[in-house]
Amino acid sequence: MLLEVRDIHVHYGKIAALKGVTLEVEEGEIVTLIGANGAGKTTTLKSISGLRPLTSGRIVFDGTDISKLQGHKRVLAGIGQAPEGRGIFPGMTVQENLLMGAYARKGTFREELDEVYELFPRLSERRTQFGGTMSGGEQQMLAIGRALMTNPKVLLLDEPSMGLAPMLVAQIFEIVREINQRGTTVLLVEQNAMQALQLAHRAYVLESGRVVKAADASGLLDDPEVRAAYLGGDLGVD
Amino acid sequence: MTGNKSPLRRAFAPIGAFNDKMRDWWEGANLWVRWAVYLLLIIFALTLLPSPQFATFMMPGSDWVSTLIHPIGTFILLAIGLNVVVGQAGLLDLGYVAFFAIGGYSLAYFGTKYGWNFWATVVVGILLTGVSGIILGAPTLRLRGDYLAIVTLGFGEIVRITANNTDEIGGARGITGVPHPTLPGVEFTLRDAAPYYYLMVGAIVLVIILSRRVEKSRVGRAWAAIREDEDAAELMGVPTFKFKLLAFAMGAVIGGFGGAIWASKVSFIEPGNFPFILSATILAAVVLGGSGNLPGVIVGAFLIAWLPERLRFINEYRILIFGAALVLMMAFRPEGLLPSRRRRAELAEGTGGMGSMGAEVATQTTVEPSEVSK
Repeated sequence: MLLEVRDIHVHYGKIAALKGVTLEVEEGEIVTLIGANGAGKTTTLKSISGLRPLTSGRIVFDGTDISKLQGHKRVLAGIGQAPEGRGIFPGMTVQENLLMGAYARKGTFREELDEVYELFPRLSERRTQFGGTMSGGEQQMLAIGRALMTNPKVLLLDEPSMGLAPMLVAQIFEIVREINQRGTTVLLVEQNAMQALQLAHRAYVLESGRVVKAADASGLLDDPEVRAAYLGGDLGVD
Repeated sequence: MTGNKSPLRRAFAPIGAFNDKMRDWWEGANLWVRWAVYLLLIIFALTLLPSPQFATFMMPGSDWVSTLIHPIGTFILLAIGLNVVVGQAGLLDLGYVAFFAIGGYSLAYFGTKYGWNFWATVVVGILLTGVSGIILGAPTLRLRGDYLAIVTLGFGEIVRITANNTDEIGGARGITGVPHPTLPGVEFTLRDAAPYYYLMVGAIVLVIILSRRVEKSRVGRAWAAIREDEDAAELMGVPTFKFKLLAFAMGAVIGGFGGAIWASKVSFIEPGNFPFILSATILAAVVLGGSGNLPGVIVGAFLIAWLPERLRFINEYRILIFGAALVLMMAFRPEGLLPSRRRRAELAEGTGGMGSMGAEVATQTTVEPSEVSK
């Protein structure tokens, strides 16, 4: 098991955002976390990457308990994240943004850079452009590329489809599949449930801070409740 | 605000264009050209700037060299220090004057009570301010944006009021007879401002070099990342808390250094020398000049220090006019007089600027889940 989240509770002040989330990610998988706004998807990712402290519960990564580990140390352990809203450094160029991804490591990053530029030819064309002046889709590519530069064992993606045109979403999901095939485990948070379920191997459905369903992604695509709630489907009347 | 269309906004456009041109030239310039420019600037600061000919224009009827030391010199020193905190790391510090005070008081206290020599005391003062920066930062740097600003503002007041109520360091009467620096062959006295002027120029050059070196280093990159997006910086493996603390400590050290030099020049300090308005003024200098850009910050500090002095002939109206000028400036050129390109990109995106001014607090909550669900 690469990543195990065991019964985590997280609070913002007195408000409980997560009320006992348990999930597992195997090496090589794409796992997706779907659910409505405010279900706790982003909070789950932030807890895994160390941006939010746990009230209780445990997170085990690669055999070690990282529940108390500071965020920047989890990066070196192998957790890379493209955060919600992309989190691009607007005043740095594309290349500087990518190199920030390798900040915690020593050495030259020629190969890693080349690999990211090969995955995202668009970024390669815009190496010297400021991150803040790029379009939403390009920024999303940059956010994913930058997370890859941390050389992650598991890549956490927080709503990569947010605010993007359908064609771009398809393109980005295709690249996520490619990244996974090259050997990086992916944990994907999405509101765009249909596409996420088509991409992922397994899925968890989150509802107000709890996991309400865990199954194979293809299984959930046919699940009448999930169809009604998240896939804008047939409302279970047929 | 109509942005680029307003005539006042356009009036500032030539400054921006000139600024861009200068920067392009500078980035393309050879190393020896750059060194020549540095050398010329230092020669200018040492010879022409304090000369009587210059004084008749800059400050008729008053002591120009003294004005150059204080407020102009001290303001530049403080602005460079505050720029590390605000401009580079993006942490809004409204109590910066506290470090100026701690530097000044260290020199005054150890110099008068124990008769320590100026240079030794400056080193001790710098260490003390560095430590006080960490003491202030450790509990407060978990806060962000406005919350950090409020807490640092409180710290500035605490230091001033503590000095006011502590008899050991003179209380409200302050400390007199602060030791002057000693250098073989040079006599530092109250009467003659010239040695102090050269000391101040030396200090500013030193601090500029230090600040520049750090900005170009790994530390500077980490600060830039924290300023632009703190969470993303942490996700890149930047130990954000440690680097924020370092920014506070380094800003504090520079402020303390400035305080020590100033205290030895005026030779008498009291708590009233360190009001909140001084923190605000230095911050205004940083923002006016172009937060994050060293030449801009220096120009900003110079203007903020010099204009009110130069406008003395219009008596009480001078602060009014000065204030109006600041308001207009911020309305029509919010990025400052000489911003860096990078800062403009940050502002265009609506982040960066002065930290993420969003009122976000990262606190560890220890509320039991059972209590919450009630």
